[in-house]
Amino acid sequence: MSRRYSFRLTLVAIVAMALMAACNNDNCIGNSTGIPLAAFYEGDEAVQVPNLTVYGIGAPNDSLIIDNTTASQVYLPLSITKKSCQYVLNYNTDGIANDTITLNYSETPYFESHECGAMYNFNITSWEHTRHAIDSIAIPVPLITNADVVTIKIYMQ
Amino acid sequence: MKQVLISILCVAYMMAATGIMRAQDQQRKVTPVKPSTNKVLTPPKGTDEKIIQQYLSGDSAQARAQERKDSLAKIYPRYPKLTELSLGLNFGDAIVMAFGQKYSSFGVSATLNMWNRFQPMMELGIGRAKDTPDDMDYTYSGKIAPYVKIGANYNFLFKSEPRYQLYAGVRLGFSTFKYDINDIVINNPYWGEYQNLQLKGLSSNALWGEALAGLKVNIASNWSLGWEVKFHGIFKYKKSENGKPWYIPGYGTRNGKWAFGLSLYYTIPLSRDRWPVKEEKKKK
Repeated sequence: MSRRYSFRLTLVAIVAMALMAACNNDNCIGNSTGIPLAAFYEGDEAVQVPNLTVYGIGAPNDSLIIDNTTASQVYLPLSITKKSCQYVLNYNTDGIANDTITLNYSETPYFESHECGAMYNFNITSWEHTRHAIDSIAIPVPLITNADVVTIKIYMQ
Repeated sequence: MKQVLISILCVAYMMAATGIMRAQDQQRKVTPVKPSTNKVLTPPKGTDEKIIQQYLSGDSAQARAQERKDSLAKIYPRYPKLTELSLGLNFGDAIVMAFGQKYSSFGVSATLNMWNRFQPMMELGIGRAKDTPDDMDYTYSGKIAPYVKIGANYNFLFKSEPRYQLYAGVRLGFSTFKYDINDIVINNPYWGEYQNLQLKGLSSNALWGEALAGLKVNIASNWSLGWEVKFHGIFKYKKSENGKPWYIPGYGTRNGKWAFGLSLYYTIPLSRDRWPVKEEKKKK
């Protein structure tokens, strides 16, 4: 083994290290922030709710989360400056009044990963809801992270 | 008179008996035979004179043991327990940083080469990181922090001179460190919110393991270069309330599974007078 081979091996090692450093950056798996994902159920069965409109009370410009859509799931974004958010579920159906869901929570700034960056995680401390079309709500894991999984189960009547 | 005569006869008998025994001994030494065939044995060419003498004297077990020992010594040249000590500097990251890598570790190591085969080692070093990823709203700042690794190599070229080594090894590493996440921008478009914040002084520690293959080549005098490819994994690391570390000193990025190492070594031979001598040199 001569110095010439040593030099070549060193070059190969440097190129491999540079490639490895470049390839170690993966894409973010999950959301870019902590956000609850609510899903609708009847009993143990997931269901779709037709003509559903959802919005947050106090959102700027009365912006809607979903607008008159058939939905089985809906993201409920939480405010980072308040400790409580209220959402209205409008079923756009005669004879069924709107439901309101209130989520009370605490928030924690969190650095998830190099790929996903920094965000807020939330801990749901309590919740309330009206009972026009909703039977009950379950939040089995109150910690809301950026993981793209159902965290709020809304059981319909 | 009668007693004198008996004494003379006894002495004569003893002398005769001794003569017969000597003759038998001489016969056994001169013509060793294989008992099963009665074929006269002749030693192969080049057999050590000492071994031939041991065979002729009838001590064949000792001769065979000596032969085996000599033969093994030829096949497996045995280096002394303390063959050499290598002091290394891990400098690969210094070069790769020039190609855009945002983190680096530098370590000094001591490797004891035992029998030119087993090589316990220890490495002490420091690592740091600073990165503001493209399209992301934060700066990761890993403060300079120490790490330690212990482990061992097995040199597959133990029959050859220690100047060239091809080895496999394992390492156990540990580091305790702190990091900041600065210039974080949080946008919450639905609620029309915007925040700028920092996470300071997050602390963590990590314990990890490495399996590696390496090549070490003497380049000049006592200096050698070493290349290593490592597969590593974290056994345990500490998450803080505000996050998980991206970079671990001595390990690299937390999600990385493979790594390369580049090191410069200075080797101090130990017990040099007990190293096996090459056959060619022996003949000269």
